[in-house]
Amino acid sequence: MFDFDATLPLMAIQFVLLTFLLNAVLFKPILKIIDERDEYVRTNQADAKAYLAETEALAKQYEQELADSRRQAQAMIAAAQAEAKETVAKQIADAQAQAQQQREQSQKALDEQKRDAFKSLEQQVDSLSQGILDKLLGSQAA
Amino acid sequence: MKMLSLLHFDVLPLAKLEVGHHFYWHLGGLKLHGQVFLTSWVVIGLLLVASLLATRNPQRVPQGLQNLMEYVFEFIRDIAKAQLGEKEYRAWLPFVGTLFLFIFVSNWSGALLPWRVIEIPGGELAAPTGDINTTVALALLTSLAYFYAGFKKRGLGYFAKYVEPTPILLPIAILEDFTKPLSLSFRLFGNILADELVVAVLVLLVPLFIPLPVMMLGLFTSAIQALVFATLAAAYIHEALEGHGEEEAH
Amino acid sequence: MDPLVAAASVIGAGLAVGLGAIGPGVGQGTASGQAVAGIARQPEAEGKIRATLLLTLAFMESLTIYGLVIALVLLFANPFA
Repeated sequence: MFDFDATLPLMAIQFVLLTFLLNAVLFKPILKIIDERDEYVRTNQADAKAYLAETEALAKQYEQELADSRRQAQAMIAAAQAEAKETVAKQIADAQAQAQQQREQSQKALDEQKRDAFKSLEQQVDSLSQGILDKLLGSQAA
Repeated sequence: MKMLSLLHFDVLPLAKLEVGHHFYWHLGGLKLHGQVFLTSWVVIGLLLVASLLATRNPQRVPQGLQNLMEYVFEFIRDIAKAQLGEKEYRAWLPFVGTLFLFIFVSNWSGALLPWRVIEIPGGELAAPTGDINTTVALALLTSLAYFYAGFKKRGLGYFAKYVEPTPILLPIAILEDFTKPLSLSFRLFGNILADELVVAVLVLLVPLFIPLPVMMLGLFTSAIQALVFATLAAAYIHEALEGHGEEEAH
Repeated sequence: MDPLVAAASVIGAGLAVGLGAIGPGVGQGTASGQAVAGIARQPEAEGKIRATLLLTLAFMESLTIYGLVIALVLLFANPFA
Protein backbone atom coordinates (compact mmCIF):
# COMPACT_ATOMS: atom_id res chain seq x y z
CA MET A 1 0.00 0.00 0.00
CA PHE A 2 2.73 2.46 0.90
CA ASP A 3 5.17 1.01 -1.55
CA PHE A 4 6.93 3.87 -3.23
CA ASP A 5 8.74 2.99 -6.42
CA ALA A 6 9.49 4.40 -9.83
CA THR A 7 5.79 5.15 -10.27
CA LEU A 8 6.30 8.35 -8.29
CA PRO A 9 8.89 10.17 -10.42
CA LEU A 10 7.35 8.93 -13.64
CA MET A 11 3.96 10.15 -12.54
CA ALA A 12 5.49 13.53 -11.67
CA ILE A 13 7.13 13.77 -15.11
CA GLN A 14 3.90 12.72 -16.73
CA PHE A 15 2.02 15.37 -14.80
CA VAL A 16 4.48 18.10 -15.78
CA LEU A 17 4.09 17.03 -19.40
CA LEU A 18 0.33 17.14 -18.99
CA THR A 19 0.62 20.66 -17.59
CA PHE A 20 2.48 21.87 -20.65
CA LEU A 21 0.17 20.01 -23.02
CA LEU A 22 -2.96 21.37 -21.37
CA ASN A 23 -1.48 24.83 -21.36
CA ALA A 24 -0.98 24.53 -25.10
CA VAL A 25 -4.29 22.91 -26.03
CA LEU A 26 -6.66 24.22 -23.37
CA PHE A 27 -5.64 27.22 -21.31
CA LYS A 28 -4.03 29.35 -23.98
CA PRO A 29 -6.69 28.82 -26.68
CA ILE A 30 -9.58 29.32 -24.28
CA LEU A 31 -7.99 32.41 -22.82
CA LYS A 32 -7.58 33.69 -26.37
CA ILE A 33 -11.20 32.92 -27.23
CA ILE A 34 -12.46 34.64 -24.10
CA ASP A 35 -10.25 37.66 -24.67
CA GLU A 36 -11.39 37.91 -28.28
CA ARG A 37 -15.01 37.70 -27.20
CA ASP A 38 -14.45 40.38 -24.58
CA GLU A 39 -12.82 42.56 -27.22
CA TYR A 40 -15.73 41.96 -29.60
CA VAL A 41 -18.28 42.79 -26.93
CA ARG A 42 -16.34 45.88 -25.94
CA THR A 43 -16.12 47.20 -29.52
CA ASN A 44 -19.79 46.44 -30.08
CA GLN A 45 -20.65 48.27 -26.93
CA ALA A 46 -18.55 51.24 -27.98
CA ASP A 47 -20.26 51.23 -31.39
CA ALA A 48 -23.65 51.05 -29.76
CA LYS A 49 -22.73 53.94 -27.51
CA ALA A 50 -21.60 55.99 -30.50
CA TYR A 51 -24.87 55.21 -32.31
CA LEU A 52 -26.85 56.13 -29.26
CA ALA A 53 -25.01 59.45 -28.96
CA GLU A 54 -25.63 60.13 -32.65
CA THR A 55 -29.32 59.36 -32.28
CA GLU A 56 -29.59 61.61 -29.30
CA ALA A 57 -27.87 64.42 -31.15
CA LEU A 58 -30.27 63.99 -34.09
CA ALA A 59 -33.27 64.03 -31.79
CA LYS A 60 -31.96 67.16 -30.13
CA GLN A 61 -31.42 68.85 -33.49
CA TYR A 62 -34.92 67.92 -34.60
CA GLU A 63 -36.41 69.33 -31.44
CA GLN A 64 -34.38 72.49 -31.88
CA GLU A 65 -35.68 72.87 -35.41
CA LEU A 66 -39.20 72.21 -34.29
CA ALA A 67 -38.95 74.88 -31.63
CA ASP A 68 -37.42 77.31 -34.13
CA SER A 69 -40.17 76.85 -36.68
CA ARG A 70 -42.80 77.14 -33.99
CA ARG A 71 -41.29 80.40 -32.86
CA GLN A 72 -41.14 81.59 -36.47
CA ALA A 73 -44.78 80.71 -37.03
CA GLN A 74 -45.77 82.59 -33.94
CA ALA A 75 -43.81 85.61 -35.08
CA MET A 76 -45.54 85.46 -38.48
CA ILE A 77 -48.94 85.22 -36.88
CA ALA A 78 -48.15 88.15 -34.65
CA ALA A 79 -46.94 90.19 -37.62
CA ALA A 80 -50.05 89.37 -39.64
CA GLN A 81 -52.27 90.26 -36.73
CA ALA A 82 -50.47 93.56 -36.25
CA GLU A 83 -50.76 94.32 -39.96
CA ALA A 84 -54.43 93.51 -39.97
CA LYS A 85 -54.99 95.69 -36.95
CA GLU A 86 -53.13 98.53 -38.58
CA THR A 87 -55.13 98.20 -41.78
CA VAL A 88 -58.38 98.18 -39.87
CA ALA A 89 -57.35 101.21 -37.87
CA LYS A 90 -56.31 103.03 -41.02
CA GLN A 91 -59.55 102.24 -42.81
CA ILE A 92 -61.54 103.29 -39.82
CA ALA A 93 -59.60 106.53 -39.66
CA ASP A 94 -60.10 107.08 -43.40
CA ALA A 95 -63.80 106.47 -43.14
CA GLN A 96 -64.04 108.77 -40.18
CA ALA A 97 -62.12 111.44 -42.02
CA GLN A 98 -64.33 111.07 -45.07
CA ALA A 99 -67.47 111.20 -42.98
CA GLN A 100 -66.14 114.33 -41.27
CA GLN A 101 -65.40 115.90 -44.56
CA GLN A 102 -68.83 115.10 -45.95
CA ARG A 103 -70.42 116.45 -42.84
CA GLU A 104 -68.43 119.63 -43.14
CA GLN A 105 -69.35 120.00 -46.79
CA SER A 106 -73.02 119.54 -46.15
CA GLN A 107 -72.74 121.94 -43.22
CA LYS A 108 -71.12 124.44 -45.49
CA ALA A 109 -73.81 124.01 -48.14
CA LEU A 110 -76.45 124.34 -45.49
CA ASP A 111 -74.85 127.49 -44.21
CA GLU A 112 -74.72 128.90 -47.69
CA GLN A 113 -78.33 128.09 -48.34
CA LYS A 114 -79.20 129.58 -44.99
CA ARG A 115 -77.31 132.73 -45.86
CA ASP A 116 -79.00 132.89 -49.30
CA ALA A 117 -82.32 132.34 -47.70
CA PHE A 118 -81.62 135.08 -45.17
CA LYS A 119 -80.44 137.33 -47.95
CA SER A 120 -83.56 136.86 -50.05
CA LEU A 121 -85.62 137.11 -46.94
CA GLU A 122 -83.94 140.39 -46.10
CA GLN A 123 -84.54 141.66 -49.57
CA GLN A 124 -88.14 140.63 -49.31
CA VAL A 125 -88.40 142.24 -45.87
CA ASP A 126 -86.81 145.34 -47.29
CA SER A 127 -89.21 145.49 -50.21
CA LEU A 128 -92.16 144.69 -48.05
CA SER A 129 -91.27 147.29 -45.51
CA GLN A 130 -90.71 149.81 -48.37
CA GLY A 131 -94.11 148.87 -49.66
CA ILE A 132 -95.62 149.39 -46.26
CA LEU A 133 -93.77 152.63 -45.92
CA ASP A 134 -94.88 153.71 -49.33
CA LYS A 135 -98.40 152.84 -48.55
CA LEU A 136 -98.33 154.67 -45.28
CA LEU A 137 -96.25 157.62 -46.28
CA GLY A 138 -97.35 157.79 -49.86
CA SER A 139 -100.73 159.06 -48.98
CA GLN A 140 -99.28 161.60 -46.66
CA ALA A 141 -96.67 162.62 -49.02
CA ALA A 142 -98.96 162.63 -51.79
CA MET B 1 -15.41 -10.81 -4.22
CA LYS B 2 -12.09 -10.20 -2.64
CA MET B 3 -13.51 -8.12 0.21
CA LEU B 4 -15.29 -11.20 1.46
CA SER B 5 -12.12 -12.22 3.16
CA LEU B 6 -12.57 -9.23 5.42
CA LEU B 7 -14.90 -11.46 7.34
CA HIS B 8 -12.01 -13.72 8.17
CA PHE B 9 -10.07 -12.91 11.25
CA ASP B 10 -6.87 -13.30 9.37
CA VAL B 11 -6.71 -9.63 8.49
CA LEU B 12 -3.26 -9.10 7.18
CA PRO B 13 -3.18 -11.69 4.39
CA LEU B 14 -6.28 -9.97 3.07
CA ALA B 15 -4.22 -6.84 2.67
CA LYS B 16 -2.07 -8.52 0.08
CA LEU B 17 -5.16 -9.44 -1.83
CA GLU B 18 -7.02 -6.17 -1.61
CA VAL B 19 -4.77 -3.19 -1.31
CA GLY B 20 -1.21 -4.29 -1.63
CA HIS B 21 -1.46 -5.97 -4.98
CA HIS B 22 -0.22 -4.18 -8.03
CA PHE B 23 0.05 -4.91 -11.67
CA TYR B 24 3.81 -4.56 -11.83
CA TRP B 25 5.68 -3.44 -14.87
CA HIS B 26 9.41 -3.71 -14.98
CA LEU B 27 11.33 -0.99 -16.72
CA GLY B 28 15.05 -1.68 -16.66
CA GLY B 29 15.15 -2.84 -13.06
CA LEU B 30 12.55 -0.28 -11.96
CA LYS B 31 9.18 -1.40 -10.72
CA LEU B 32 6.09 0.46 -11.87
CA HIS B 33 2.46 0.23 -10.87
CA GLY B 34 0.98 -0.54 -14.24
CA GLN B 35 -2.66 -0.12 -13.26
CA VAL B 36 -2.02 3.45 -12.08
CA PHE B 37 -0.42 4.35 -15.37
CA LEU B 38 -3.16 2.70 -17.41
CA THR B 39 -5.92 4.63 -15.67
CA SER B 40 -3.95 7.86 -15.61
CA TRP B 41 -3.42 7.56 -19.37
CA VAL B 42 -7.15 7.20 -19.81
CA VAL B 43 -7.67 10.31 -17.68
CA ILE B 44 -5.01 12.25 -19.57
CA GLY B 45 -6.48 11.08 -22.86
CA LEU B 46 -9.94 12.22 -21.81
CA LEU B 47 -8.63 15.63 -20.82
CA LEU B 48 -6.62 16.11 -23.99
CA VAL B 49 -9.39 14.93 -26.30
CA ALA B 50 -11.95 17.12 -24.57
CA SER B 51 -9.61 20.11 -24.78
CA LEU B 52 -8.81 19.53 -28.43
CA LEU B 53 -12.46 19.08 -29.35
CA ALA B 54 -13.45 22.15 -27.38
CA THR B 55 -10.86 24.44 -28.95
CA ARG B 56 -10.72 22.90 -32.42
CA ASN B 57 -13.38 25.13 -33.91
CA PRO B 58 -13.82 28.08 -31.57
CA GLN B 59 -17.15 29.88 -31.85
CA ARG B 60 -17.98 33.36 -30.72
CA VAL B 61 -21.12 32.00 -29.10
CA PRO B 62 -19.87 28.86 -27.33
CA GLN B 63 -21.82 25.65 -27.69
CA GLY B 64 -21.64 22.15 -26.30
CA LEU B 65 -18.17 21.07 -25.31
CA GLN B 66 -16.64 24.48 -25.83
CA ASN B 67 -19.19 25.95 -23.47
CA LEU B 68 -18.41 23.31 -20.85
CA MET B 69 -14.66 23.79 -21.13
CA GLU B 70 -15.03 27.55 -20.94
CA TYR B 71 -17.09 27.16 -17.80
CA VAL B 72 -14.43 24.85 -16.34
CA PHE B 73 -11.72 27.28 -17.36
CA GLU B 74 -13.45 30.20 -15.70
CA PHE B 75 -14.00 28.14 -12.57
CA ILE B 76 -10.27 27.34 -12.43
CA ARG B 77 -9.36 30.91 -13.19
CA ASP B 78 -11.52 32.06 -10.31
CA ILE B 79 -9.72 29.65 -7.95
CA ALA B 80 -6.32 30.87 -9.09
CA LYS B 81 -7.39 34.51 -9.02
CA ALA B 82 -8.88 34.23 -5.54
CA GLN B 83 -5.71 32.69 -4.12
CA LEU B 84 -2.93 34.28 -6.16
CA GLY B 85 -4.38 37.68 -6.94
CA GLU B 86 -4.97 39.45 -10.22
CA LYS B 87 -1.30 40.09 -10.92
CA GLU B 88 0.32 36.70 -10.39
CA TYR B 89 -2.36 34.25 -11.32
CA ARG B 90 -1.71 34.02 -15.06
CA ALA B 91 1.72 32.40 -14.71
CA TRP B 92 0.44 29.72 -12.32
CA LEU B 93 -2.91 29.12 -13.94
CA PRO B 94 -1.74 26.10 -16.00
CA PHE B 95 -0.27 24.36 -12.96
CA VAL B 96 -3.20 24.96 -10.65
CA GLY B 97 -5.69 24.24 -13.41
CA THR B 98 -4.00 21.00 -14.42
CA LEU B 99 -3.88 19.92 -10.78
CA PHE B 100 -7.59 20.50 -10.44
CA LEU B 101 -8.52 18.88 -13.75
CA PHE B 102 -6.31 15.85 -13.33
CA ILE B 103 -7.40 15.16 -9.76
CA PHE B 104 -11.04 15.84 -10.47
CA VAL B 105 -11.23 13.63 -13.55
CA SER B 106 -9.18 10.92 -11.81
CA ASN B 107 -11.45 10.90 -8.76
CA TRP B 108 -14.61 10.83 -10.80
CA SER B 109 -13.26 8.22 -13.17
CA GLY B 110 -12.67 6.01 -10.15
CA ALA B 111 -16.28 6.43 -9.09
CA LEU B 112 -18.04 6.54 -12.46
CA LEU B 113 -16.07 4.31 -14.83
CA PRO B 114 -16.49 0.57 -14.30
CA TRP B 115 -12.75 -0.03 -14.07
CA ARG B 116 -13.08 -3.25 -12.14
CA VAL B 117 -14.90 -4.96 -14.96
CA ILE B 118 -11.62 -5.03 -16.87
CA GLU B 119 -9.48 -7.88 -15.67
CA ILE B 120 -5.76 -7.30 -15.43
CA PRO B 121 -3.14 -9.71 -14.14
CA GLY B 122 -2.63 -8.64 -10.54
CA GLY B 123 -4.28 -5.77 -8.71
CA GLU B 124 -7.27 -3.97 -10.10
CA LEU B 125 -7.88 -0.78 -12.02
CA ALA B 126 -8.99 2.15 -9.85
CA ALA B 127 -8.68 5.90 -9.64
CA PRO B 128 -5.04 6.97 -10.16
CA THR B 129 -5.36 9.26 -7.14
CA GLY B 130 -6.08 6.23 -4.96
CA ASP B 131 -2.41 5.29 -5.23
CA ILE B 132 -0.02 6.94 -2.80
CA ASN B 133 2.62 7.37 -5.52
CA THR B 134 0.37 9.63 -7.56
CA THR B 135 -0.68 11.86 -4.68
CA VAL B 136 2.86 12.14 -3.33
CA ALA B 137 4.08 13.00 -6.81
CA LEU B 138 1.48 15.76 -7.09
CA ALA B 139 2.23 17.05 -3.58
CA LEU B 140 5.99 17.10 -4.21
CA LEU B 141 5.41 18.94 -7.46
CA THR B 142 3.40 21.49 -5.50
CA SER B 143 6.30 21.88 -3.07
CA LEU B 144 8.71 22.35 -5.96
CA ALA B 145 6.31 24.83 -7.52
CA TYR B 146 6.16 27.05 -4.47
CA PHE B 147 9.90 26.88 -3.89
CA TYR B 148 10.41 27.81 -7.54
CA ALA B 149 7.89 30.64 -7.24
CA GLY B 150 9.59 32.00 -4.13
CA PHE B 151 13.11 31.80 -5.57
CA LYS B 152 12.11 33.26 -8.89
CA LYS B 153 10.35 36.19 -7.29
CA ARG B 154 12.72 37.03 -4.47
CA GLY B 155 15.93 35.09 -5.00
CA LEU B 156 17.73 34.06 -1.84
CA GLY B 157 15.63 36.57 0.05
CA TYR B 158 13.04 33.83 0.00
CA PHE B 159 14.77 32.29 3.02
CA ALA B 160 14.05 35.46 4.98
CA LYS B 161 10.52 34.21 5.44
CA TYR B 162 11.80 31.39 7.64
CA VAL B 163 13.13 33.78 10.28
CA GLU B 164 10.89 36.69 9.62
CA PRO B 165 8.61 37.28 12.55
CA THR B 166 11.19 35.72 14.87
CA PRO B 167 14.00 33.18 14.41
CA ILE B 168 12.48 31.11 17.22
CA LEU B 169 9.91 29.84 14.75
CA LEU B 170 12.62 28.60 12.36
CA PRO B 171 12.15 24.88 13.20
CA ILE B 172 8.40 25.19 12.77
CA ALA B 173 8.85 27.01 9.48
CA ILE B 174 11.14 24.26 8.23
CA LEU B 175 8.79 21.59 9.54
CA GLU B 176 5.97 23.25 7.62
CA ASP B 177 7.75 22.57 4.36
CA PHE B 178 7.52 18.86 5.17
CA THR B 179 4.01 18.84 6.56
CA LYS B 180 2.59 20.68 3.57
CA PRO B 181 3.21 17.94 0.98
CA LEU B 182 2.54 15.28 3.59
CA SER B 183 -0.89 16.62 4.47
CA LEU B 184 -1.69 17.37 0.82
CA SER B 185 -0.87 13.86 -0.35
CA PHE B 186 -2.40 12.01 2.59
CA ARG B 187 -5.58 14.03 2.46
CA LEU B 188 -6.19 13.19 -1.18
CA PHE B 189 -5.02 9.59 -0.94
CA GLY B 190 -6.97 8.91 2.24
CA ASN B 191 -10.17 10.44 0.95
CA ILE B 192 -10.16 8.55 -2.32
CA LEU B 193 -9.12 5.25 -0.78
CA ALA B 194 -11.59 5.63 2.09
CA ASP B 195 -14.35 6.36 -0.38
CA GLU B 196 -13.52 3.27 -2.41
CA LEU B 197 -13.28 1.08 0.70
CA VAL B 198 -16.57 2.32 2.14
CA VAL B 199 -18.35 1.70 -1.15
CA ALA B 200 -16.72 -1.73 -1.41
CA VAL B 201 -17.78 -2.71 2.13
CA LEU B 202 -21.33 -1.49 1.55
CA VAL B 203 -21.54 -3.33 -1.76
CA LEU B 204 -20.36 -6.41 0.08
CA LEU B 205 -23.11 -6.05 2.68
CA VAL B 206 -25.97 -4.92 0.42
CA PRO B 207 -25.17 -5.19 -3.26
CA LEU B 208 -28.10 -3.14 -4.64
CA PHE B 209 -29.30 0.46 -4.25
CA ILE B 210 -28.15 0.95 -0.66
CA PRO B 211 -24.60 1.99 -1.64
CA LEU B 212 -25.95 4.62 -4.06
CA PRO B 213 -26.19 7.50 -1.52
CA VAL B 214 -22.68 6.72 -0.32
CA MET B 215 -21.50 6.73 -3.93
CA MET B 216 -23.12 10.14 -4.43
CA LEU B 217 -21.40 11.37 -1.29
CA GLY B 218 -18.15 9.95 -2.67
CA LEU B 219 -18.59 11.90 -5.90
CA PHE B 220 -19.18 15.05 -3.88
CA THR B 221 -16.19 14.45 -1.61
CA SER B 222 -13.85 13.71 -4.47
CA ALA B 223 -14.90 16.89 -6.26
CA ILE B 224 -14.30 18.87 -3.06
CA GLN B 225 -10.91 17.20 -2.62
CA ALA B 226 -9.85 18.24 -6.11
CA LEU B 227 -10.92 21.78 -5.28
CA VAL B 228 -9.09 21.67 -1.94
CA PHE B 229 -5.87 20.40 -3.50
CA ALA B 230 -5.88 23.07 -6.20
CA THR B 231 -6.84 25.81 -3.74
CA LEU B 232 -4.15 24.84 -1.26
CA ALA B 233 -1.50 24.57 -3.97
CA ALA B 234 -2.41 28.06 -5.15
CA ALA B 235 -2.40 29.33 -1.55
CA TYR B 236 1.06 27.88 -0.89
CA ILE B 237 2.42 29.44 -4.06
CA HIS B 238 0.88 32.74 -3.06
CA GLU B 239 2.45 32.48 0.38
CA ALA B 240 5.87 31.91 -1.18
CA LEU B 241 5.37 34.87 -3.49
CA GLU B 242 4.21 37.22 -0.76
CA GLY B 243 6.65 36.26 1.96
CA HIS B 244 5.47 35.21 5.39
CA GLY B 245 1.76 35.57 5.12
CA GLU B 246 -1.36 34.41 6.81
CA GLU B 247 -1.41 30.98 8.40
CA GLU B 248 -2.90 28.42 6.09
CA ALA B 249 -5.01 25.56 7.27
CA HIS B 250 -3.58 22.08 6.89
CA MET C 1 2.37 -12.87 12.16
CA ASP C 2 2.51 -12.72 15.90
CA PRO C 3 -1.14 -12.88 17.09
CA LEU C 4 -0.38 -10.29 19.75
CA VAL C 5 0.82 -7.83 17.12
CA ALA C 6 -2.21 -8.60 14.97
CA ALA C 7 -4.60 -8.00 17.86
CA ALA C 8 -2.82 -4.81 18.90
CA SER C 9 -2.88 -3.60 15.30
CA VAL C 10 -6.59 -4.14 14.92
CA ILE C 11 -7.33 -2.43 18.24
CA GLY C 12 -5.00 0.39 17.30
CA ALA C 13 -6.66 0.79 13.93
CA GLY C 14 -10.09 1.03 15.52
CA LEU C 15 -8.85 3.56 18.06
CA ALA C 16 -7.12 5.60 15.38
CA VAL C 17 -10.33 6.08 13.41
CA GLY C 18 -12.60 6.38 16.44
CA LEU C 19 -10.53 8.86 18.41
CA GLY C 20 -9.58 10.72 15.26
CA ALA C 21 -13.23 11.28 14.50
CA ILE C 22 -13.98 13.04 17.81
CA GLY C 23 -12.16 16.30 17.24
CA PRO C 24 -13.23 16.88 13.65
CA GLY C 25 -16.79 15.91 14.63
CA VAL C 26 -16.90 18.63 17.26
CA GLY C 27 -15.22 21.05 14.90
CA GLN C 28 -17.55 20.33 12.02
CA GLY C 29 -20.57 20.70 14.26
CA THR C 30 -19.36 24.05 15.55
CA ALA C 31 -18.51 25.28 12.08
CA SER C 32 -21.87 24.20 10.64
CA GLY C 33 -23.74 25.77 13.55
CA GLN C 34 -21.91 29.04 13.07
CA ALA C 35 -22.58 28.88 9.35
CA VAL C 36 -26.32 28.38 9.94
CA ALA C 37 -26.30 31.29 12.38
CA GLY C 38 -24.51 33.37 9.79
CA ILE C 39 -27.05 32.44 7.12
CA ALA C 40 -29.91 33.24 9.48
CA ARG C 41 -28.44 36.62 10.18
CA GLN C 42 -27.51 37.36 6.58
CA PRO C 43 -29.51 35.20 4.18
CA GLU C 44 -28.10 37.04 1.17
CA ALA C 45 -24.59 35.76 1.99
CA GLU C 46 -25.71 32.13 1.84
CA GLY C 47 -23.77 31.17 -1.29
CA LYS C 48 -20.49 32.51 -0.01
CA ILE C 49 -20.95 31.00 3.43
CA ARG C 50 -21.81 27.62 1.97
CA ALA C 51 -18.76 27.56 -0.30
CA THR C 52 -16.44 28.47 2.57
CA LEU C 53 -18.15 25.98 4.86
CA LEU C 54 -17.68 23.12 2.41
CA LEU C 55 -14.00 23.92 2.05
CA THR C 56 -13.44 24.09 5.81
CA LEU C 57 -15.44 20.92 6.34
CA ALA C 58 -13.13 19.20 3.85
CA PHE C 59 -10.14 20.39 5.87
CA MET C 60 -11.58 19.01 9.10
CA GLU C 61 -12.61 15.85 7.34
CA SER C 62 -9.03 15.29 6.32
CA LEU C 63 -8.03 15.08 10.00
CA THR C 64 -10.19 12.01 10.36
CA ILE C 65 -8.78 10.74 7.11
CA TYR C 66 -5.28 10.92 8.61
CA GLY C 67 -6.50 8.62 11.38
CA LEU C 68 -7.99 6.38 8.74
CA VAL C 69 -4.69 6.29 6.86
CA ILE C 70 -2.96 5.20 10.05
CA ALA C 71 -5.61 2.53 10.53
CA LEU C 72 -5.10 1.34 6.97
CA VAL C 73 -1.36 1.23 7.51
CA LEU C 74 -1.86 -0.88 10.62
CA LEU C 75 -4.25 -3.23 8.84
CA PHE C 76 -2.80 -3.55 5.38
CA ALA C 77 0.82 -2.44 5.53
CA ASN C 78 1.77 -3.25 9.08
CA PRO C 79 5.46 -2.45 9.58
CA PHE C 80 5.71 -4.99 12.42
CA ALA C 81 4.09 -7.87 10.60
